[in-house]
Amino acid sequence: MAVAVAGAGAPAAIDWEVPEQVGLWSDAWRRFRRNKVAVIGLCLVGILVLDAIASALLSTTGHYLWADPFKQDVNNIFAGSSAAHPFGQDELGRDVFARVLKGAEISMQIGLLTQLIILVIGGLVGLTAGYFGGWVDNLLMRFTDVMYAFPDLLFIIVVVAAMGRSLLSIFVAISVVNWVNLARLIRGQVLQLREKEFVEGARASGSTPLKIILKHLLPNSLGPIIVSLTFGIPQAIFLEAVLSYLGAGLPPPTPSWGVMTHDGYDAISADPVLVIFPAIAIAITMLSFTFIGDGLRDALDPRMRK
Amino acid sequence: MGAPSRGGALLQVQRFLGSRGGHLAFYVFKRVLWLVPVLFFVILVTFVLAHAAPGGPWDRNGGRELSDAVRKAKDIKYGLDKPFWEQFVIYVGNVIHFDFGTSLQSEGIDVKDRIFTGWKYTAQIGLLAFLFIVPVGIGTGVIAALRQNTWVDYVVLALSTAGAAVPNFVVGFFLVILLAIIPYKFTGGNFALPVSGPPADDAWFGIDIHYLMPVLTLAFLPIAYIGRLTRSSTLETLRQDYVRTAWAKGLPERKVVIGHVLKNSLIPVVTALGPLFAILVTGSVVVESVFQIPGVGKMFIDSIGARDYPVILGLVIQFALIVAIANLIVDILYVVIDPRIRLE
Amino acid sequence: MHSLMRTRWAALTVGLGVFVAACGGTTSAGGPAKASADKQVLRINTGVQPNSLDPGQQSYDYEGIVGRNVFEPLLKPTKDAKDLTGAAATGKPDVSSDGLTYTFHLRDNNWSDGQPVKAADFVYAWGRLLNPCLAAGYADPFYDQTVKGGENYANIDAKDTAACTTYVKTLGLKAPDAKTFVVTLQKPAGYFPYIASLWVGAPVRQDIVEKYGSDKWATVPAQVIGNGKFKVGELVANDHITLVPNSQYKGDQAQLQKFEMFFISDSNTALNKYKNGELDVLNVPIADTDALKADPKFGKQIHTYKSLDTFWYTFNNKTAPFNNPAVRKAFAMSIDRKQLVDKVSHGQYLPETTFTPEGMPGYQGANADLKDLLKFDVTAAKKALTDAGVAPASLTVSLLTRDTTTNKTLNQYIADQWSTNLGVKVNLEVIDSKTVTKRIRKGDFQIYGADGWGMDYAHPQDIFDIQTTGGCHGTQWDCYSSKAYDDLVAKGDAEKDFNKALDDYKAAEKVLLTDAPFTPLYQRPSVDMVQPWVQGITAVTLDESVYTPGDFYTETIYISQH
Repeated sequence: MAVAVAGAGAPAAIDWEVPEQVGLWSDAWRRFRRNKVAVIGLCLVGILVLDAIASALLSTTGHYLWADPFKQDVNNIFAGSSAAHPFGQDELGRDVFARVLKGAEISMQIGLLTQLIILVIGGLVGLTAGYFGGWVDNLLMRFTDVMYAFPDLLFIIVVVAAMGRSLLSIFVAISVVNWVNLARLIRGQVLQLREKEFVEGARASGSTPLKIILKHLLPNSLGPIIVSLTFGIPQAIFLEAVLSYLGAGLPPPTPSWGVMTHDGYDAISADPVLVIFPAIAIAITMLSFTFIGDGLRDALDPRMRK
Repeated sequence: MGAPSRGGALLQVQRFLGSRGGHLAFYVFKRVLWLVPVLFFVILVTFVLAHAAPGGPWDRNGGRELSDAVRKAKDIKYGLDKPFWEQFVIYVGNVIHFDFGTSLQSEGIDVKDRIFTGWKYTAQIGLLAFLFIVPVGIGTGVIAALRQNTWVDYVVLALSTAGAAVPNFVVGFFLVILLAIIPYKFTGGNFALPVSGPPADDAWFGIDIHYLMPVLTLAFLPIAYIGRLTRSSTLETLRQDYVRTAWAKGLPERKVVIGHVLKNSLIPVVTALGPLFAILVTGSVVVESVFQIPGVGKMFIDSIGARDYPVILGLVIQFALIVAIANLIVDILYVVIDPRIRLE
Repeated sequence: MHSLMRTRWAALTVGLGVFVAACGGTTSAGGPAKASADKQVLRINTGVQPNSLDPGQQSYDYEGIVGRNVFEPLLKPTKDAKDLTGAAATGKPDVSSDGLTYTFHLRDNNWSDGQPVKAADFVYAWGRLLNPCLAAGYADPFYDQTVKGGENYANIDAKDTAACTTYVKTLGLKAPDAKTFVVTLQKPAGYFPYIASLWVGAPVRQDIVEKYGSDKWATVPAQVIGNGKFKVGELVANDHITLVPNSQYKGDQAQLQKFEMFFISDSNTALNKYKNGELDVLNVPIADTDALKADPKFGKQIHTYKSLDTFWYTFNNKTAPFNNPAVRKAFAMSIDRKQLVDKVSHGQYLPETTFTPEGMPGYQGANADLKDLLKFDVTAAKKALTDAGVAPASLTVSLLTRDTTTNKTLNQYIADQWSTNLGVKVNLEVIDSKTVTKRIRKGDFQIYGADGWGMDYAHPQDIFDIQTTGGCHGTQWDCYSSKAYDDLVAKGDAEKDFNKALDDYKAAEKVLLTDAPFTPLYQRPSVDMVQPWVQGITAVTLDESVYTPGDFYTETIYISQH
């Protein structure tokens, strides 16, 4: 996993220093707000999240934001844009706009849930390895070496082939290849932190390792972790799309943007427009998260405060 | 002809190891040695996963199935009747002798030969993309830095941000629509750029217009990556005293840029070429699938679909080696370029 | 009784068909003027590279088109596909009165290196095909109830080379002289000549195979010495294969100087190549049908060829809810096949409510008794469910399907039909092809499809075999089994009077459509684009016309001036 496939930034390349004080959030927020591009990204993501939540909640009641994304209308296959169907209709006459809206739900699920899994696994392993050092640390680093040897896309494809095509296997595959980076990042943070006085002090006053980790180490390394996770979201969305495009992702009729680009590309000579909307949706989402990631990085980077 | 005395040789070795070059050699040796267990685990994981995928090489994709007797005979012929662990041990034993077996899908075809045929296309596209990426990426990066905070800079920044965030297959779709479908519609079916596929037989060095879109698609992300990197490192260099001095001396811009700025600002860019290599390799999976190039990336997807275990394994081993070697070279470059870096 | 293993329903194939008059007759006489020799190039797309150039190791349709042009089996179909005629043999074989001995007389012909073709070459080739140690995929039509001694195929230990060699010597294959090839059968089998017409039974050269190695000889084009009209000129791995005329071939020489087959799996890419004039024949991708038909230039190049094939969904009649015939019928009756073919397939397919395809003897699609048994009727379907005591709202079924483009769209439509028309919930499982096969073999599905069959010969026996006990395309799951059906089919197979046999098959089809272990869906003609300069195609119903019509009689194809 040497290289981010999406290339969405390279958080690991930054030389993170340990923040001198803990109460930096309002300060960071002020800096973040000054970054216009990042704020635009945040707004767009806000809209996407609202879209995702709304369509998830509405679908339980049988209502839709725009129209039923699964409703077929075979008399109007490949129909162009109209008032009722602003993005036109697909190879089964379904409303493309409704499907793009619904697709946000899946992309957000994938983006956010994988990062949650990565945070849990990566966080646990990273904290343990960093705090205890020794063979635990050694084992992690050796494991990282093996994981680095696989090009991640290939590994994900093999994992999905072995587990079958489902949302679950995509979660697992993406998480399995991406937690290592976070674990290493956290390990590095902890290694730096644990030499600091306040940790020494806590240790001297008889705190348990768990307490020290939760109370002191975790809050202090939160900045880089947040940035890393933010950059992880567009990567996960990208991987889902690529998998679906390669025919190894989610099964139809799931209106995931990846599935839609795949089906759209199949019909690109018949109706070139079909592939454009989901592709734009993916691009905008990835861009927005990248902007936010850039903004967060600058805002949380201690060097910027000088 | 007496060999140098033992003590002398030992001393020489010690002296060599004590020197920086010696450190480097020892470091490289250690890293290469470490590749062995890493590759072993890569093989193990891939072997387990590939065999865990449901179905096998003799299952058909619909229609009539092979008879059970034929399936059994095929299992025996290719050693698939043996217990799983025995198959693994045999495979690893063969790999040690550089024997990657024969394809299960293609009768009698050596996996090495098969992979080699794919490399012809992957290497062509990768090389063309590389030749495109380096000048364009560095060029735009330097220009943007020299014209910092002008519209040129903003355009480059915007494009490179987009390039880094937009998936390469999306870039591919837009190219197909822009260069093939739209011209086709507007010329009434008389002109369209060939979307994809390998070049024609009589193409110049096997390269022709068929590669335009795949190469552009593959190059898009790396150009953005190299461009951003060059821009920031050039900005840094421009602030250095010796560059300011050069400007002050009234040297022409061209001389300053080439003689003073580029020389130093390119150091971090050189070290980025390793990851770039890995991007080209993984990128090939997507680009070759979008554009139907019969290279190793497409071969990988196909071999998984066919459950052609030896080909899957051969390709993964090869990808792993490439990535490992690229990373190693980058690490060595770091050491060579920046003497402050300590070897572990 | 055994139907042949046509595997044209492989993942990538899109259609096939009978050639209709569109591209014209059998000869070049009176046709447009022929172009110069260097322009005699036909470029087609087979989608996939042959897995082997050794005919004995081939089995897929995209391999057959290469195999039967580079090698020549004993027999080939007549132009109307109703009978067989001689290819490597002078004509149909002599059959002994007990029906056990078939004697083929070989015609004078040469291998591409100039040596004469001998009967011993056939004995050797068939022995190789039936050698368990070599594990040829397409062996079973030759050992299963046909060639004498073949009944022991499964009992031979494929690890034991000596045992394999001994076993091959016991087979009922003989060459009493250089021009006579005699096959002895286990028991009478009137369909045996059809098996002898398969290209996998083409001869190979013992000296070549032994010189270069059994697995390796066919990996290098120059080593592939064949007895067909063409020889392999060039194989560019993963890209294309070029066949060139075999000057040693005795008989009608090919007019094409190059026969190029490309391995492009993506239909968009292939379409683009055709539009740019880089391909001469192309199957029309479903999604592009309307646009291409409306195109002033390409619309004229589209030809529809009917074909002897049929597609259906299989219900798992062993588990609930499809162990209930009423549920199966309800599902079969709630698919609007007309809309399916008109809209979703863009007019490429034909709707079917019976098993035997149109164009076959015994076609029941015009027979009022049978054609309406499973016709589209939502009211009747709902009533059938209610009568069976099944509440549609409580029913959730899953449809297992392979992830090919065409399948995906059609299956989404049909799943929607069931949920709309019946009110049941349908889970669509579009998954990796090998996984699907694995699950079918275990009987781990509720509905599977679309499965299909292309006729090997125009005899109902070929298709009725599929639904007999233990049939199911060799997938080995515990599938449909009806004694009434089996008996009727056996009676029809044994019946010497063809018209009487048709009555038996009709009765069998009625049992089948009443029981509905499956639901017929559609027949799939091949809709191909052919460049205007391709002339003299002699199409046969058994052509792989999805790749190119006329592949049995390639010698008549030529390129006109353009």
